[in-house]
Amino acid sequence: MLQYVIAGLALGGIYAIASAGLVITYVSSGILNFAFGALAYFVARFYYYLHTQQNWGILPAAVVAIGLCGPAIGILLYGVLFRYMRLSSPLIKVVATVGLLVAVPSVATLIFGNQAIQSAPGLAPEPVRVFHVLGVPVTLDQVIVYCCVLATVLIGAAVLRYTDVGLKVRAMVDSPAMTGLSGTSPNAVSVGVWAVSIFFAGLAGVLAAPIIGLDPVNFTLLVAAAFAAVVAAKLRSLPIAVGVGLLMGILTSLIQRYLPSNSNWTTEIVDAIPFMVIAVVLIYNLVRRGSIGDGERVGGPLDRAIIPQGESRLAGSTASALDAGSIGLLGRYLGPALLLVAASVLPLIVQGFWVGLFAQAFAYGIIFLSWTLVVGEGGMLWLCQITFAGVGALTASQLAVNHGWPVLAAIVAGGLVALPMGLIVGFLSIRLGDLYVALVTLTFGLLMENLVFTQNIFVNQGLGVNMTRPAFAGTDLSFTYLSLAAFAVVALFIMNLRRSSTGLALNAVRWSEPAAKTTGISVVQMKVLVAGLAALVAGIGGGFLAAAQTSAQPGNFDTFAGVIWLAVLVTVGVRSNVAALLAGITFVMLPALAQAYLPTWTANIPPVLFGLGAIGVAKFPDGTLAQQGQLFRRFLQSRVDRRPVTLSGVALAGDGAGMVPTEPTSGTRLTEDVSP
Amino acid sequence: MTSADDAAFAKGAPFADGTGAGTAPAVAPVLAAYEVSVRFGGLRALSDVSVEVPPGRIVGLVGPNGAGKTTLFGVLSGLLRPTSGRVCLRGEDITAASPQLRARKGLARTFQQPELFLGLTVREHLVLAHRVRFARSRLLTDMWNPRALFGTSKAENERVDGLLELLDLTRVARAPVASLPLGTSRLVEVGRALAAQPDVILLDEPLSGLDLRASENLTEVFRRVVANREHEVSLLMVEHDVAAVLALSSTIFVLDFGELIARGSPEQVRHDPAVRAAYLGEEAPVSRTGTASTNGSGEP
Repeated sequence: MLQYVIAGLALGGIYAIASAGLVITYVSSGILNFAFGALAYFVARFYYYLHTQQNWGILPAAVVAIGLCGPAIGILLYGVLFRYMRLSSPLIKVVATVGLLVAVPSVATLIFGNQAIQSAPGLAPEPVRVFHVLGVPVTLDQVIVYCCVLATVLIGAAVLRYTDVGLKVRAMVDSPAMTGLSGTSPNAVSVGVWAVSIFFAGLAGVLAAPIIGLDPVNFTLLVAAAFAAVVAAKLRSLPIAVGVGLLMGILTSLIQRYLPSNSNWTTEIVDAIPFMVIAVVLIYNLVRRGSIGDGERVGGPLDRAIIPQGESRLAGSTASALDAGSIGLLGRYLGPALLLVAASVLPLIVQGFWVGLFAQAFAYGIIFLSWTLVVGEGGMLWLCQITFAGVGALTASQLAVNHGWPVLAAIVAGGLVALPMGLIVGFLSIRLGDLYVALVTLTFGLLMENLVFTQNIFVNQGLGVNMTRPAFAGTDLSFTYLSLAAFAVVALFIMNLRRSSTGLALNAVRWSEPAAKTTGISVVQMKVLVAGLAALVAGIGGGFLAAAQTSAQPGNFDTFAGVIWLAVLVTVGVRSNVAALLAGITFVMLPALAQAYLPTWTANIPPVLFGLGAIGVAKFPDGTLAQQGQLFRRFLQSRVDRRPVTLSGVALAGDGAGMVPTEPTSGTRLTEDVSP
Repeated sequence: MTSADDAAFAKGAPFADGTGAGTAPAVAPVLAAYEVSVRFGGLRALSDVSVEVPPGRIVGLVGPNGAGKTTLFGVLSGLLRPTSGRVCLRGEDITAASPQLRARKGLARTFQQPELFLGLTVREHLVLAHRVRFARSRLLTDMWNPRALFGTSKAENERVDGLLELLDLTRVARAPVASLPLGTSRLVEVGRALAAQPDVILLDEPLSGLDLRASENLTEVFRRVVANREHEVSLLMVEHDVAAVLALSSTIFVLDFGELIARGSPEQVRHDPAVRAAYLGEEAPVSRTGTASTNGSGEP
């Protein structure tokens, strides 16, 4: 027993340090750093490069990698990215960090090479010394982890509680705006916080490397586990996060003792423990408090008062709505029409392999439309659409191949199986704040991925399940057009929904739940409705994707891959049907083009571009498509009107007291621009 | 009313001027709260507060900051559950009803900080509110029906266009509300409330932040709405501009530290010693609307 506890404490210690880093950045900036694992990997890989590949000693390598490189990355990221995001919506914060999650490992590969590293040294000299405590072996690496956890807790608590720096950090947590008015620069404090946070990421990375190897996927999963401790700490309490992190490590170790070691279920249950902890903690808090969400608020009343209208909600700013009011039908539909024509014609021009890729691109487009529904229209930050797509794909392939159903019926049935799951997750997450909704949906995806998608009926010895295509669309070209037609049907439905009474009500719920309720709209009904529809669409898209790829592989529906899909979509635009199509084409074609026509080393460039694009949403939350569209329309208007055109802006609450604004004119705003 | 309700009202000082302010109203109140208390942890935000809103009248609710006015609005609209007490709409106990159900039964409200749907235009706000009340099934059926995009009823158009004209919003009817200044935003909120043809509207500081002309226009709109005999509407108004409340209201309730310290006609409230001591001060200077006021800013 003691042996398991000691081993669990080492793993728990790494969870604890990671969760400390996550909590520190969350309380000071409102950002739950999904890239924490990727950054931990980068620092650990740098340490490995210095210590193992360049033969540096442990101490200088650790000082340079953890003590200098980590904080320097934190400072750099704050300077170029995070300082612009303090007032951004949760979606933008998540997407920007997901951009980093995608880009950082690829940057590491570009710098350090793509060598697979199964075992990496920790901070202990090799061969690692082993002590015996009460007859139980304890490695020096484990002792170092315990010491680091202890130092984190003691030094962290002492600095926060007793020092001037700690006072400033606590003041900034309460209200950055008031801290600024009191003469302390919130930026200076934030830079320090981000430096410390990435220091913790690096420390956790180097300590974890001997246990999990140097694989970015493992690092991301490690941090996903640390999310459980962060959720238990209600995103804010450092001691609770550290404590729960330690307990979770011990729990994981102890469960391994009692489960049969030769069962597949053991691995699946052990991997799922952190996500079960998240589910239990959220359900407990939900039952006890009725709702969860206050913890997400960053800053005080003054900080909230200066958030520009529209930036406090999901799915971009109000700039699109303002623009929509100032352009004609031609300006609104010219770009989308051109893209649709191009998407229709290109499969006829290209040949062979590329035609099949277009079928996949359109299938991805359908899945992306499910996010257009749930995030763009519903305003809910869902991260598990890929899971519904997986459910659709696996169900459709089972029904079509193993039960002889007609393919299209099987695909629709796959969507219908996903639909009730969407309804249930939607209902359970009604009373949660935006970030908790993200975490619940992420947890649902990870649980499904670990407990359901791993069943052999789906995995089939790693081969997946074959998927057929309808007889009338057996060729790549005909199936490509069938996929495009399916995309068009879903897109038209969403277009109709957006302009219908249902769309008005959804819009109302998205922007103000209290006002929607007191207008007579059932928030629960609308949210559950859009959640179910989105799951249905994702399931159908998954079925089409499986048919395009001619097999359904559970491994293609990893939850974190879905977060990357969302990042790609948000980068292009989450509120536009055409953006979903463009995102699907970009997501499939860019890597394929790089692979086909560029040198091998450039294979890591598309992920970096996707990552940088996602980071770009911090500056332009409506996505690149809307951004380019706005620039194009303004160019046209300025040519036509020959009148000055104002830049995109948002009206601050309380920006005027007149009853009726200036008569709107083409190309001009109704109010003064007050872009932050 | 039950005997318990009578007893609740008996707790306040009776008014015997025959205006219906101090005695139990002759007609049944359209909206009433009986002995409502709200606690937030150890803080008692409201203590046994009872208010009644008669049909077709403007009722004022005043009190210093922190008196519990917005909390009471939260309880009346269903956004807050009272610790104890009852809320009745047209005699029906709605204490346990959700905000949306209350809205469908004829209760509308505005907010201290305008809560608009930033993705919608001015007209869409009114259309949505009208449909929620009178064509509710369209919220679920429209998305399946392409013809629904063009299917606005004559009654809906008349109602919405009439309100846009009444509120002088026709010129900005198709403008996104995100582009509107505060004063216009308040009008849109009022329009959204009126579009549902409610029996009662709770107005939370509707004149706050408006300039003199805007304030006068809006108070005139309130008078016209209440004077409309085709559909009887009552207004319960929280407002810091006490002078405006005194000028508009037939009955005023005064809250202080979560307790009802006075109720009655404007004249009675103006001379109530408890109100003067707690709120108005010894003198009531002339306000921007030409009647008695607390101070130049309208704040107590």
